[in-house]
Amino acid sequence: MKTDQTSHEADAAPSWFERPENIRRMILALCVACAIVVLADLFYENHHPHFDLETSFGFQAWFGFVAFVAVVALGTALRTVVRREEDYYDR
Amino acid sequence: MTGDLFIPPGLIMILGAWLLPFLGRRVQAWSVLVLSSLSLLAFGLTAADSYGQIEWLGIELVVARVDSLSRIFGVIFHLAAILSAIYALHVRDARQHVAALVYAGAAIGACCAGDLVTLFVYWELTALSSVFLIWASDNERAYRSGMRYLIIQVGSGVLLLSGIIVRYVATGSVEFVRFTPEGGAMDAAAMLILLAFGIKCAFPLLHNWLQDAYPEATPSGTVYLSGFTTKLAVYALARGFPGTELLIWVGCAMTLFPIVYAVIENDLRRVLAYSLNNQLGFMVVGIGIGTELAINGTAAHAFCHIIYKALLFMSMGAVLYRVGTVKATELGGLHKSMPWTTGFCMVGAGAISGFPLLSGFVSKSMILSAAGEQHLFWVWIVLLIASAGVMEHSGIKIPFFAFFAHDSGKRPKEAPPHMLVAMALAAGLCVLLGVAYPLLYRWLPYPADYHPYTAAHVVTQLQLLLFAALAFVFLMKTGLYPAEQRATNLDTDWVYRRAFPMLIHGGSVVFGGLDRGLRRAALGSLQAFLRGVRTLFSEHGLFGRAWSTGIMTFWATILLAFCLLLYYL
Repeated sequence: MKTDQTSHEADAAPSWFERPENIRRMILALCVACAIVVLADLFYENHHPHFDLETSFGFQAWFGFVAFVAVVALGTALRTVVRREEDYYDR
Repeated sequence: MTGDLFIPPGLIMILGAWLLPFLGRRVQAWSVLVLSSLSLLAFGLTAADSYGQIEWLGIELVVARVDSLSRIFGVIFHLAAILSAIYALHVRDARQHVAALVYAGAAIGACCAGDLVTLFVYWELTALSSVFLIWASDNERAYRSGMRYLIIQVGSGVLLLSGIIVRYVATGSVEFVRFTPEGGAMDAAAMLILLAFGIKCAFPLLHNWLQDAYPEATPSGTVYLSGFTTKLAVYALARGFPGTELLIWVGCAMTLFPIVYAVIENDLRRVLAYSLNNQLGFMVVGIGIGTELAINGTAAHAFCHIIYKALLFMSMGAVLYRVGTVKATELGGLHKSMPWTTGFCMVGAGAISGFPLLSGFVSKSMILSAAGEQHLFWVWIVLLIASAGVMEHSGIKIPFFAFFAHDSGKRPKEAPPHMLVAMALAAGLCVLLGVAYPLLYRWLPYPADYHPYTAAHVVTQLQLLLFAALAFVFLMKTGLYPAEQRATNLDTDWVYRRAFPMLIHGGSVVFGGLDRGLRRAALGSLQAFLRGVRTLFSEHGLFGRAWSTGIMTFWATILLAFCLLLYYL
C-alpha cells in the first residue's frame, strides 16, 4: 500500500487490474459466468411463479441486458436536454 | 402504561449534545459515540409499550410508543448513529458533533412518537439540526444550498402542522395511527400530511433538495444525513398510509427517473443521492402494496439500505477527504493507493445491487415477491428495470470510475484508520445480514415466513446482475457508454433557482419600466403647464407686461362708447 502523496504520471508498472491480458481474462470470466447462469435455468423448477414470463428461459438475463442498455440510452438522451455549463447556477 | 421511570428514546442523545461544547475537542467526537451507544442500550431495555401519556392544553399526548414497527426503525437509527460517530472521530468542529447528535436523537424520538404533536416537534428538530451539517462545509455554495434545504424542510413541517390542526378539529384526536381507512378516500388532513411526508421522502417533483443539499455537506456530515430524514419519512408513511394505492405509482416513478439522471451525473455523491431516491422508491412501493410481506420488505429494505448506503457514502467521503474531490472526471485508478476503501466500496456496491449473500438480496426480493403475489405485473417489471439501473450507477459506475477506469495519476493516502473501522463494520453487517438473514427477520413488524434463497431467486437475480455487467462491458467496448463530463444537469430545482428568480426579475423590469414611464409623463405634463404659466406672466407675457397709458385710454374710450350705445338701444 503506497503512502506517497505526490501525484505523478501513471506508473510505469500498471497494477494487476490494468494489464490488458488480465482485463481480457476478467471479461472472459464474466462471459463464462453469464453462460453458466443462463444454462442453470434448465436445472431447477420454480414452484411459485407469479407470472408466465418469469418462467420463460433466461428471462431475467436478456431483460437485465436490455434494461441496462435502455437506461444508459435514456441517460444519454436526457443529457442533450438538461446539460449546462458547470457554473450555470453561480453566474 | 408503566409507572416506572422511562427515558424517551433519543432524549439521551438530544440532551447529551448540549454538554459537548464544554468538553475538550478530542473528547467530543468520542462522547458522540458513547452517548449513541448508551442510547441504544437504553432503547434495548425499553419494553414494547406506550409511555408518557400526558395532557397538554386539553390534547392527549403519547410521547413514546414502542411497537414492532418503531422498534426496528429505532434500532437501525441507533446503529447508523454509532457507525457514523465512528466515521466522524476525526472531526474537530463542535457544531457538527452537536448537530449530528441532536439530528440522530430527534429521528429516533420521532419514529417512537405516539401522537402527531410529538412527531411534529421531532420532525422540525431533525430539519433544524441537520442543516448545520450542510453549513459546516463553510463555503458559499453550501450556505445557499443549506438555505434552500431549510426552507423546504420547514415547509414540510408547516404542511404537517396544518394537517394536524385540520385533523384535530375534525376528529378531536392527534393519535398517530393509520390515516386511510380500508378502501376509504383521503380527507384534507390526510392529504396535507401525505404531502408533508412526501417532501421528506423525496417524492417526484419534490425530490431535488436531496441531490442539491447532500453533496454539499462535509464527508462525515453526508454520512449522517443519508441515514435519517428520508428513512424517518418512510417510517411515517408506513405508519400512516399503508396500502394506499397511490403510493405504488408514486414509488414506481421514484424508482425510475433517478436512475436516468445518475448515468450522466459527474459528482459521485450526487449520483449516490439519486441512488438514494431510487431505493426510497422501492420502499414506497412496498408501503403502497401494504400486505404483511410488503411492509416487512419495506422495513427490511430500510434496515439494510441505511447500512449499505452509509457504507457507500463513507467510501466516497474517504475519497473526498483524501483527494479533495469526488468528481468522476478527476478520479480513477485509486485502487492502487486506497485498496481497503476500494474493497469496502465494492461490498457496498454489491449489497445495493442485491448480490446473493449480501444484505440487499434478502430485503429487496421481499418487495418484488409482494408485487408478484398481488399480481401487479407492470409494477414488478418496473422494479426489475430499477434493479438493473441500480447495478448501473451504484454497482458499477461508483466503484469503477472512482477506483478503476483510467489512471488519474492521483496517489492519495489510504483512508484514516477510524474511517476504515467504520467501513469494515458496515461491510461486515452487509455480509452478516445477507448470510444470517433470520437475525434480521425476527425484528420485522410482522412474522416473516419468507425464504429468499430459493434456486429460482438466486439464479434469476444472478442472471439480471451478470448480464447487466455484460451490457456495461459491451457499451464501453463499443464506445456507446457516455463519457463523464464536467457539467450541471438541470433537475426540478431549476424551477426555484432559475425560473422563479427570472420571473420576478422580469416582472420588476416590466413594472419598473411602466412606473418610470408613467412618472415621466406625469412630471412632463406638469412641467409643461408650469412653463406655460410662466410665459404668460413673464415680462413680455399677456398678463405680465406693462401696458402704456395711451393704449389704456384708447380701450377705455371704446368701452365707454359701447356702454353708451347699449344704453340708448
